[in-house]
Amino acid sequence: MDSLNVVVAGVGGQGVLTLAKVIGEAAIASGRGALVAETHGLSQRGGSVVVHVRIGEVEAPLVPEGEGDLLISTELLEALRYASFLRREGEVVSDALVLKPYGFKGDLKAYQLAEELRRLGLRVHLVNAAGMAEPLGDVRAANMILLGYSVARTALGEFLDAREVEGVIGRGRGAEVNLKAFRLGLSMRAEG
Amino acid sequence: MSYPEMLSPAGSRVFTLGNVAIARASLEYGVGVAAGYPGTPSSEIIEALGYAARKLGYPYVEWSVNEKVAFEVAYGAAMAGVPSIVTMKHVGLNVAADPLFSSAYTGVESSLLVVSADDPSMWSSQNEQDNRIYGLHAYVPVFEPAGAQEVREATLEALRFSEEHKHPVILRTVTRVSHTRALYTFGELRGPRMEGRFQRDPSRWALVPAHARRRREELVKKWELFSHHLSSSALNAAEGPEGSELLVVGAGIGFRYAREALSRLGLLGKVRLLKLTTTVPLPRELIASELERKEKVFVVEEGEPVVEDQLKLLSFDLGMRPLIMGKRSGHVKLTGELRLDAVAEGIASALGLSSLPREVRKPSLSPPPRPPTLCPGCPYRGVFYSLRKVASKMKLKLIYSGDIGCYSLGINPPLSSQDIIVEMGGSLGVGAGLTRAVKDAVVVATIGDSTFYHAGMPGLVNAAFNGAPMLVLVLDNGTTAMTGHQPNPATGHNLRGEARRIPIEEIARAAGASSVRVVNSFEMEELDKVVAEALTDARGGKLSVLVARGACILEAVAEARESKIQRPLYYVEQDRCRACTICYNLFACPAILSSQDGKAKIDPSLCTGCGVCVDVCPFDAILPRGEVEESWRRLLSGG
Repeated sequence: MDSLNVVVAGVGGQGVLTLAKVIGEAAIASGRGALVAETHGLSQRGGSVVVHVRIGEVEAPLVPEGEGDLLISTELLEALRYASFLRREGEVVSDALVLKPYGFKGDLKAYQLAEELRRLGLRVHLVNAAGMAEPLGDVRAANMILLGYSVARTALGEFLDAREVEGVIGRGRGAEVNLKAFRLGLSMRAEG
Repeated sequence: MSYPEMLSPAGSRVFTLGNVAIARASLEYGVGVAAGYPGTPSSEIIEALGYAARKLGYPYVEWSVNEKVAFEVAYGAAMAGVPSIVTMKHVGLNVAADPLFSSAYTGVESSLLVVSADDPSMWSSQNEQDNRIYGLHAYVPVFEPAGAQEVREATLEALRFSEEHKHPVILRTVTRVSHTRALYTFGELRGPRMEGRFQRDPSRWALVPAHARRRREELVKKWELFSHHLSSSALNAAEGPEGSELLVVGAGIGFRYAREALSRLGLLGKVRLLKLTTTVPLPRELIASELERKEKVFVVEEGEPVVEDQLKLLSFDLGMRPLIMGKRSGHVKLTGELRLDAVAEGIASALGLSSLPREVRKPSLSPPPRPPTLCPGCPYRGVFYSLRKVASKMKLKLIYSGDIGCYSLGINPPLSSQDIIVEMGGSLGVGAGLTRAVKDAVVVATIGDSTFYHAGMPGLVNAAFNGAPMLVLVLDNGTTAMTGHQPNPATGHNLRGEARRIPIEEIARAAGASSVRVVNSFEMEELDKVVAEALTDARGGKLSVLVARGACILEAVAEARESKIQRPLYYVEQDRCRACTICYNLFACPAILSSQDGKAKIDPSLCTGCGVCVDVCPFDAILPRGEVEESWRRLLSGG
């Protein structure tokens, strides 16, 4: 494979843009090409956020629907929202967290959502990232746990050198907590 | 925000946003004056230049109060020979259209680069307008980078072209250019050209009819010349066999989609592909030579079929009759932004090829929508809540004439307090019009601080002058929040950190509003009282202005962290809670959740400590843990 289509999703405020940016910078540091297409402004403020990351020698910035290799999501409803971007047997790495949108009265459990993702023929990895990030001192470091996990367990690891990712995180804000979170993710196993 | 890459040495390889690359290229070129008004997806250009200016002492950078003034600031400096840049989102150019047209008539003495960041798919906008059409209309050439990858070169070339021809140039980006991160190799910072000289010449600079008529003759001639010069621009390049019967034209970012689509279809290198970065006016000689012997032409471009239509006109004039396809022919959709799969399918169907197999699987369970919301602790929530509550008590029917900013998010239930949102500053003018037509309701024009200075002021003066009976509610959070907290005249300082504040209430008094009140958005009891008074005035036929002031909670929280001010945490005393649901169903703070038994609970990770819910609760069940520091209250008041 000479390119990788990654979709990064979550809820505004969860560090989705940061996660995508780190992947892009680490791809460059690992000697790959990369484009990271963000959305700003009205699409933040607690709303649904999606960022397209294309690694390799690509021209266009957006991942076409049905052609994504990997979806990393900081929240499970958002993983489901953008699941159609993935190809058959594409991988989903998502926090097991379910944040109900304001005003939604229904009940959606993590296992139901994960089941729905599996029914689409996707390989699903649920990670209790927010729960693991809290003791580290910043729940937002969940994004780096998911990144570490993705580097260790998915095709992302063939494109990103873990040491280069650490280099990028180390130069950013909150480096200490984020590095811990990333390494924690690297060392993890799936919870199903 | 900090943009240290703006200062990276020449030769640095930097992975950054397209907008930052525009800023860096401007700095490398030696731009002396930069101005803009914030708007997604354009805002980071001025932010990055402002960062550089604070570190380097140059260039001169300002956030202006609107796009028209920003344009004029850059235009004036360019008249005096200082290379200048002005930035805005697409709809901003509507506001700046007047000077844009004049600038083509007078020309300039150095570069005048007008950056228009268009937003196809309307990620953060009210329309999908394509500002290349302004280029055609105003006789201003348009450069359109072939994706984020080409932003730096296109910016530098556009600045050079503008200076060489002493004519304004539009640099047109789209969201996927401005907000895409790509790898750049930076060039040398040549130092700014900050000082110019104004050459007095009324026959050029003063567009009275006699002068303007002469300038118009010259403008038409210049336009022919531009088309000729752009034919040899290094930014336009063709690849693939000249003898191909098919020419694919990739305009701007369209080139990236076109090239990758051809590659997928196995056609790359087998058909002719033209990368067109100078899209208005079409480079005539280049197009003429590329159209030779072509049977079919397929155009890929973002927005309206601007290149496609020009190509049709030009090929007609040249006596050539290739079949020109793209958006008019329906092979690429007119609405929304380009997508790689859609472009590949469009090309395939135009050529009669079978399209690529593609499988998109949608989940049968569709997740509930998650629209953006007012943040927990947003000062606007309490104001909207109070307005609804008081109006209902007074048995008043309200029409909410809304505006553009974070308060637009008040559109969602349960607050439902934005009935109309049309354009920047529109709340006042549209509101005044409604008062002429509707007699059974009170009109409330809601507008934020930045939008008030931007285009609300003429609407206010008009309402006072013509006597429109309505409530003008100015939601003053002291910042331009939606676009990332840029300073405006309510903030207390400008981009360069110079202390300035121009209070809205003083402007309202000077404009002649019948009554002017100021209230703290976080003090609910006071708010209810003052809202009732202000509504009574409006109902009584007065132009009633209410400035509701309170800090943007994101800024207050950041400032508290910086100054080590303790924020209070609130909790629900379960014994007192009667499960009335007001706090989470009507006030609707995202930090207040309902328990199984219907009682409220506060999520400590979301609660910002604004304390408004304390007054919203009719049973005094919401309480702070410990004392609320006076310094925190002061911070919230935004004074």
